[in-house]
Amino acid sequence: MLFAVLLPFIASIFIPFLAKMKNRIHTGIFVTLIPFIVFLYFIQFIGGGFKPVTRSYTWIPSLNMNMNFYLDGLSLLFVLLISGIGTLVAFYSIYYLHKSEQLGNFYVYFLIFMGSMLGVVLSDNVFVLYTFWEFTSLSSFLLIGYWNHRRGSRYGALKSMLITVFGGLSMLGSLVFMSVITNTTSIQQMISQKSIILNHEFFPLIFGLLLLGAFTKSAQFPFHIWLPDAMEAPTPVSAYLHSATMVKAGIYLVARYIPIFAESEWFFIVVSGFGIFTLMWASYMAVRQTDLKGILAFSTISQLGMIMAMLGFGTKAAIFGAVFHILNHATFKGSLFMVAGIVDHETGSRDIRKLGGLMTFMPITATLAVLATFSMAGFPLPFLNGFYSKEMFFGSTLEFEATNNALASFLQQVLPYLAVFGSIFTFVYSMYFFFGTFRGKANVSELPKKPHEAPVGMLISPAVLVLGVIIIGIFPELINKPFLSHAAASIYGGEVEKHIYFWHGINLPLIMSMAVLAFGTILALTRTKWEPVYRFIPGPLSMNKVYDGLVKRAETYSEKITKGYMNGSLGRYFRLILSAILIVTFSFMIITGGFSFSMENTAEFTAIELLVAIMMVVASIGTIVANNRIAAIIILGVVGYGLSILFVIYRAPDLALTQLIVETVTVALFLMAFNHLPKLEVRQQDWSTKALNLIISIGFGALMTLVAISSHSSKWFESISTYFIENSYKLGGGDNIVNVILVDMRGLDTLFEITVLGIAALGIYGMIKLRKNKKGDV
Amino acid sequence: MEIIMSIVAGLLFATGVYNLLQKQLLRIAIGTALISHGAHLFILTMGGLKGGAPPILVEGVEHYTDPLPQALILTSIVISFGVTSFLLVLAYRASEANGTDNIEQLRGNDYE
Amino acid sequence: MSNLAILPIIIPLLAGILLAFFPKKLPLVRGLAKLTTILNLAVVTYIFAFVKQNGTLILETGAWKAPFGIIIVADLLAVTLVLTTNIIAVAAAFYAPKSLTDQQETFYFYSFFFLLISGVSGAFLTGDLFNLFVFFEVLLMASYALIVLGGGKAQLRESIKYLLLNLFSSMLFVTAVSFVYSVVGTVNMAQIAERVKDVDQQGILTTVAVLLFFVFATKAAVFPLYYWLPNSYSVPNPVVSALFGALLTKVGIYSILRVFTLIFTHDQGLTHNLFLWLAGLTMIFGVIGALSTNNVKLIIAYNIIPAVGFMLMGIGVFTETSLSGTVYYLVHDMVIKGALFLLIGALVHLAGTSDLRKMGGLIHHYPLLGWLFFLASLVLAGIPPFSGFIGKLLLLQGSLAKEEISIVIVALLSSLLILFSMIRIFIGAFWGEKVEGLPVDKRAARAFTGPIAGLLALSVILGVGAEWFYPAIQSIGEYLMAPELYIDSVLKE
Repeated sequence: MLFAVLLPFIASIFIPFLAKMKNRIHTGIFVTLIPFIVFLYFIQFIGGGFKPVTRSYTWIPSLNMNMNFYLDGLSLLFVLLISGIGTLVAFYSIYYLHKSEQLGNFYVYFLIFMGSMLGVVLSDNVFVLYTFWEFTSLSSFLLIGYWNHRRGSRYGALKSMLITVFGGLSMLGSLVFMSVITNTTSIQQMISQKSIILNHEFFPLIFGLLLLGAFTKSAQFPFHIWLPDAMEAPTPVSAYLHSATMVKAGIYLVARYIPIFAESEWFFIVVSGFGIFTLMWASYMAVRQTDLKGILAFSTISQLGMIMAMLGFGTKAAIFGAVFHILNHATFKGSLFMVAGIVDHETGSRDIRKLGGLMTFMPITATLAVLATFSMAGFPLPFLNGFYSKEMFFGSTLEFEATNNALASFLQQVLPYLAVFGSIFTFVYSMYFFFGTFRGKANVSELPKKPHEAPVGMLISPAVLVLGVIIIGIFPELINKPFLSHAAASIYGGEVEKHIYFWHGINLPLIMSMAVLAFGTILALTRTKWEPVYRFIPGPLSMNKVYDGLVKRAETYSEKITKGYMNGSLGRYFRLILSAILIVTFSFMIITGGFSFSMENTAEFTAIELLVAIMMVVASIGTIVANNRIAAIIILGVVGYGLSILFVIYRAPDLALTQLIVETVTVALFLMAFNHLPKLEVRQQDWSTKALNLIISIGFGALMTLVAISSHSSKWFESISTYFIENSYKLGGGDNIVNVILVDMRGLDTLFEITVLGIAALGIYGMIKLRKNKKGDV
Repeated sequence: MEIIMSIVAGLLFATGVYNLLQKQLLRIAIGTALISHGAHLFILTMGGLKGGAPPILVEGVEHYTDPLPQALILTSIVISFGVTSFLLVLAYRASEANGTDNIEQLRGNDYE
Repeated sequence: MSNLAILPIIIPLLAGILLAFFPKKLPLVRGLAKLTTILNLAVVTYIFAFVKQNGTLILETGAWKAPFGIIIVADLLAVTLVLTTNIIAVAAAFYAPKSLTDQQETFYFYSFFFLLISGVSGAFLTGDLFNLFVFFEVLLMASYALIVLGGGKAQLRESIKYLLLNLFSSMLFVTAVSFVYSVVGTVNMAQIAERVKDVDQQGILTTVAVLLFFVFATKAAVFPLYYWLPNSYSVPNPVVSALFGALLTKVGIYSILRVFTLIFTHDQGLTHNLFLWLAGLTMIFGVIGALSTNNVKLIIAYNIIPAVGFMLMGIGVFTETSLSGTVYYLVHDMVIKGALFLLIGALVHLAGTSDLRKMGGLIHHYPLLGWLFFLASLVLAGIPPFSGFIGKLLLLQGSLAKEEISIVIVALLSSLLILFSMIRIFIGAFWGEKVEGLPVDKRAARAFTGPIAGLLALSVILGVGAEWFYPAIQSIGEYLMAPELYIDSVLKE
């Protein structure tokens, strides 16, 4: 099984080489084989006696991140969709993508996507699942940006990445949280400990974050906005990622976690609430689109909403309907995308306002389209699969019984009406799509190309899918027992036995279907009359504007904020840094009671020390008021010399000497360096800055003094110096203890202090020399 | 005495910081020099002042001043000297190349 | 055997001094430089293997026993970081000749480079607080010299700010060391740790600890002390930026990690909570900075900051898992920041501008470079299975186990925005229409690629092959939570 997942990745390594000979053999031919092999591998699992299969491969066991695959009915449904549709799409792309395109890139992304998607639906390990999940987002990003010279492609790619990665990261938070509290990384084991998760105080957070992942990926309102822009991708990609597989990863995730989350009363409200609203909103919006793929994108969103809503009910019938619809949607929507691609390919346009009457030019395509659209519309015909699952949807909205939560029971009561509302518009856009493109008056002259029927190869893939629509429509039981019931059972967590009938007698769901048919027909016929309603709803309100605003604000505000404090002014930086240190350290001192004062261990003071000290203080203040640079430098020297006198008084002869020499040289250097620069000015800053500076500097001095006094008052231990005094001569062989410490005990310090001097010297040499050279050169 | 010296060192820090917050490079450089003086005085004070004789072994003397802080200060003085020299040359070069010794005019912009 | 421990400090020191004697013989200097980095890497690898097998190596310099002399403590944490440092060094040594002008090379680039490595390794290895200050000064002095190398206007301007801020924090550092000395009477870190445990009245210790934290935080570029970083890292030559980005802030983080796991663990309620707050703010302001500009060099420089937030978060949470996360992230971040600055250097060189708005379509000319950049973006943003993810995962696990929810949410959001800031560069510079009239220099691109690809390959291996590394890092996490191990190994008897 590992090989099946890794096969696409391995194959993708060879694609660049195969792409080199694309002029002789279209790279897609090789690529088609890969999903087909995977499909053949997985089809063997289908059957009445199917039992979940687990396969474990170690990867990073120390982090519990292993390739543990779990193939149950739900995964099987998905892997067959991924590999099956993958085969058809790859085959279709051979005709769709011309050899002059960058086929190598396209197929590498394609295969990476396929492998990742297989990984998502097979992984039982949450971290591995997340890994593959992000890779589906990334490959989708690259595929949307495939024609990246187009502005729209870049825009759509970024949008899809930001939204889906946002969701992915939320999901990661939830998954890590669950794995931490249940102490396992396996989804199945989490399910077996669901009470820990359900009763956890942060359950709402865990639940919400996971749903964010699912809703962004499956384009639920209000995160649906990336999907229409994703239509910039080549059409095979739209058919594959953005309709049949990737967007269903969110559905998959919710389905996977139903055994845990469905027990929460919020599950129904949130999942079904968002689902049903998405269904209504997107189907309503689909009618407004003029781009064929735009209609299909919104249609996909609305169908995903419907599946999500059914999962939210969590009942046997609803789950069965959801699973069934996942499959049905893949068949009719996949073929419709391919049809849209054919129309685009053969006429040069996807704009429904320019198209029309194509039936006469491309009869086969039109036939495929009519079957697929009518299935999508849920037309009650016994050979269209869409009707069955739509009927189950209606049925499940009726039979669902909410808990006694007020919000839930309200939602339950209005659900059937909302479902009908959404379905009416589904009907309308289906008709709009078909009749707008294939019927009506043809205006061939406005199209970039003269329309004609597509090559046979291009028709094969949509035809196979439409065949699927019909076969499932006629013989629904064929896939029920061996396939669907397993998938539904693995979500529901118990046997799911359901029969799929076309005719249930005259019951409420049928009446709902009839209502959809009647109202739908009326609305479809009078579409141009009521179209102005879009000017009011959504009118100027749109989630796209929210997104654009957010992205734009992210950039402008961050620029404003950053430029606000990062203005390059050193004074500002110092003020901010010092204030931060001051405030935090002072508060810490107060909170911890860090200040202490004791006169123990203090030396007597004499007049001469006091005199020197006062001199130094006066001199240091003098550096501030001096307005002559030589004076300022000399006054600075006074402080330095004062320090060396203090060193003498405090019995540090070596220090005094060193300080004396260093101070002299420093003063000389100061004079040299600043002799060429402008004179000192005193009044440069306004009084508020001055006051602030004063507060900060006095505060800082005070802080250091207080900490110093407290430190000195808290001498709790004997210093290691005792050892130095005792052993300086015995072990170090010297009388001058300071020198012994410097060259012996702390010789490393001295070695590197000299290194610092050396670097400084080389650096200074470079600074002066390199400039001269430059001048010489120029 | 330690208390007074702590206050002196604190004042050296305060005046140093005040100079540091000025605009002219010379003042800023003076500020750093003051701060390092303050730091060295702090180190000395923290070792305890006048704990005994200078730390040079003489027969018969039992109490010596703590030698370790002195060793540390010595290292620190040398390092500060290196850094200060570098700073001075850098300040000279920077103000020469940019035509100003006002740090507020050395802000720069985004694209260089 | 224990003398081994000082080799990572001494070899680059000697190389740095030696190369200062004949700076004009460039081919020889370059050859020697490359050779030395490789040699040093080999030595360090050996030390790493040795320490991993036999435990911490202690070297008492000058044979003065602890705690009186300066102790070099080559424990697994230090050695891991030294090893990573030397990997970066090799990449930089091979990249440098292509990126620097001959003049910059003759003016002691390689000496400064080796002394920087020496200082960084010393800072990781030393077991003495004052000696840590000395090594800080060595690496800072070398960094001052490197940042002004070439002497451009902007360089001079930014270096002076960089120098002044660091000079100030260095002075604060020595002063804080003297406070510590006053309270506990020693500068040996193991002994400080031992004595801190025995203290009843700890208020003053906490206050001094916070002061020390701010010193390290300035180097580490923690909020609100990072103002010096973005501009000063974006003006020097790319190879210098890469060294800075990969090494310097990490020394700061390492010091916080060391000091606040070994010594100041007595008042976590205050100190480590402060870290969590600052970690969150560091991430937020860091990513805001990264989104604020169209200068690609600045975008990368700003991206250093949120990473610092991630590492600080692990220290703040303070569990075995979170500390392992910090260490993993540290290693990851050194490698990826090195790679990114080198990449951006190549990008700016080839595009002839650092303004993102003036770039476009480069992937058509330089596909390999483009994909390396894309990969680097994913690594940086912590997309699995690359190295950034492993560290992030551990940090999240550690934080969630302690129910530190808000920092987790901030961390996740920052990851998204980091990715956004990087993908903006990818889309703007590599995708889109080609810029008219831009000369194409595929040879230069190829020359840049080697070191970049090497570092990125390591990032990938650190992620995909985490099983080879994580057990060692995990043991570091356990080790950091048990400071008595460090204390005992230094103050044995």
